Amino acid sequence: MSKIGIVAAVVAAALALAACGSSDDAGGGGAGEARTLKLWHYENATSAMGVAWSEAVKRFEATHPGVKVKFEEKGFEQIQKTAGMVLGSDQAPDVMEYNKGNATAGLLSKQGLLADLSEEAAKRGWDKLLSPSLQATARYDERGVMGSGRWFGVPNYAEYVMVYYNKDAFEKQGVKVPTTFEEFTGVLDAFAKAGVTPITVAGAEYPAQQIMYQLALSKAQRPWVDAFQRYQGKTDFHGPEFTYGATTFADWVKKGYIGKESAGLKAEDMGVAFTSGKFPIMISGSWWYGRMATEIKDFEWGTFLWPGNQMSAGSSGNIWVVPEKSANKDLAYDFIDITMSKDIQNRLGNAGGIPVAADVSAITGEKNKELIENYNKLAAQDGLAFYPDWPAPGYYDVMVAGVQELINGTKAPDAVLDDFAAPYNDNLADIGG
Amino acid sequence: MTSLSLRRETAQVRAARRRAPAAGAGPGRWAVLAALVVLAVVMLVPFAIVTLNALKTPAEYAANGPLALPGGIYLDGLVEFWNRVDFGRKLLNSFLISASVAVLAVTLAVLNAYALGIGRVRGRLWILVLFLMANTLPQEALVYPLYYIAKEVGLYDSRMAVILIFTVVQGAFGTYLLAAVLGDFPREIIEAAAMDGAGRWRILWRIVVPVSRPTLTVLAIFFFIWTWNEFFLPLVFLISNDNQTVPVALGVLQGDKMMDVTMSSASALLGIIPAVVFFLIFQRTLTRGVTVGAVK
Repeated sequence: MSKIGIVAAVVAAALALAACGSSDDAGGGGAGEARTLKLWHYENATSAMGVAWSEAVKRFEATHPGVKVKFEEKGFEQIQKTAGMVLGSDQAPDVMEYNKGNATAGLLSKQGLLADLSEEAAKRGWDKLLSPSLQATARYDERGVMGSGRWFGVPNYAEYVMVYYNKDAFEKQGVKVPTTFEEFTGVLDAFAKAGVTPITVAGAEYPAQQIMYQLALSKAQRPWVDAFQRYQGKTDFHGPEFTYGATTFADWVKKGYIGKESAGLKAEDMGVAFTSGKFPIMISGSWWYGRMATEIKDFEWGTFLWPGNQMSAGSSGNIWVVPEKSANKDLAYDFIDITMSKDIQNRLGNAGGIPVAADVSAITGEKNKELIENYNKLAAQDGLAFYPDWPAPGYYDVMVAGVQELINGTKAPDAVLDDFAAPYNDNLADIGG
Repeated sequence: MTSLSLRRETAQVRAARRRAPAAGAGPGRWAVLAALVVLAVVMLVPFAIVTLNALKTPAEYAANGPLALPGGIYLDGLVEFWNRVDFGRKLLNSFLISASVAVLAVTLAVLNAYALGIGRVRGRLWILVLFLMANTLPQEALVYPLYYIAKEVGLYDSRMAVILIFTVVQGAFGTYLLAAVLGDFPREIIEAAAMDGAGRWRILWRIVVPVSRPTLTVLAIFFFIWTWNEFFLPLVFLISNDNQTVPVALGVLQGDKMMDVTMSSASALLGIIPAVVFFLIFQRTLTRGVTVGAVK
């Protein structure tokens, strides 16, 4: 009996609170001198981007007296699932981090939910700061396809796929950092002969397909990448690039460079297998870098670019977008401009990220320097080749399934390439290529 | 889906009760005990792993993997998560929403079920079938219509929107269940009350509600827990961090390509503690409600 009483009392209180709570929404958004810039992003506060951007907020507030920045940290999934709805309502933020790509930023730009930044990009010189392959993810045409057209986003950092290696294991095995592809396979072979599977791989998620793509890219140049990624020409899935990629990948499994059990593993498993020292090599993106730097305590590690490639998987990071409904677009542009400034970009580099417009000489720390220098080398040779799952919607799952077949040895490389070709050509027909 | 599994569970509980005395003192009893122990272990292992990782430093996790024992007790992950998402506020939001829904949905269900179960409504069966069908609609299909309605009436990004939506969703299931229960309500009592001059309103509050209170309490508790665990609609409707619920706040830790296992475990632990506490408080009421139902 008394319990019912408690419940009733508690609920009455709850309802009263809910009623109060919902009425206080009305207060915000007043005009006059006190303005707020609503900023959303989903980077951890301790990550390179989180550190640099909180610095940018301070800088912004210092240079804009009377303007308060209201920052909210969002979950990736929430932005991913609800961006279209939020941006269509009047609850939209003034500036937010969003995923690059046709299915995300491209789609919203097509729906008219994002502000056109072309004018600002030219006026503030963002177009000069960003190299062509970084601009690809910032610009979308009227079909929402990236690579050309108007500016809808501004990338603030970059990422690329590299080789992480365990220095202690390399020393023990008596091998050196390879500079050519032959030396690289030599290193892999040395480990495999000694009974150690050299590469930690996750077949159930993005890492395995990126290795396959790296192998294909070893035979590729920019025109092939433009054809495959941006539909500027025909892609032959049985041409030398993909054939080499798929057959060599299958070969690496056979030779024991890649473990059979990796077919069912996730990226997190792959990373922990490397940080716990069970595998000497991990091939993945720069997004792991900060974590490696803070979490590996038991051995020395380093990175190198995939040896011998002109092109390598990589792209700009996620982009700043300004919702069309934002009432403070001028402030949003100012904020983006601050994040593109040398100071903030250097801060991002010193915190372990890859800045897009930093001064390398201002980067301290040997490891951060190595990361950024390798990136600059890649960018200088126009080597960012994006990711294999980008060209068509739903292509990620196609790639995962195909590469799993290669790891399990259940399908021949030729048949897997046919699987890759079908959805790609369907999409080509859809967008009228 | 939750409602179905609930009913399956209650059915199993009832079946187990009926079977238990029959098994007697034979070896069958030990087999049942062993099976239950295995089941309990299977259920508890995930909690153990979560707890293990919540109390680990990220470096320990990176060096030894998820299954190793932590070197010491490290609570920074818990504290950091609490501060990072302003967890106290999320708890309050979750509590507000769940408690309001529990009360409102039970009230709604009682009113509906009184009409459908005790009163005479033409096409009663079809109305119930309709309710059941509405209850099985996936939330993904409801999202866009609800979004546009909420935007039109100015309730988008408010807790009130979520309360209203779940009151209706849970109320539909409650109506279905209660209408069946009240269909078997002893007519004599109602007739006797009517004879004494009680109106319909009086009969509802003075007779029907007190008699079926155990069922109503159980229903309220389940509504509370189900609403507490809801993720998708709150994710869509509660945009501001100030309005978010606990499950939505836990999602903040899942990055694009990165996850923070130790902190995610810490947050998961924080996320389930309130539900466990709630269960422990109302455990008695729950089992009593279930047994009352079984006797009927």
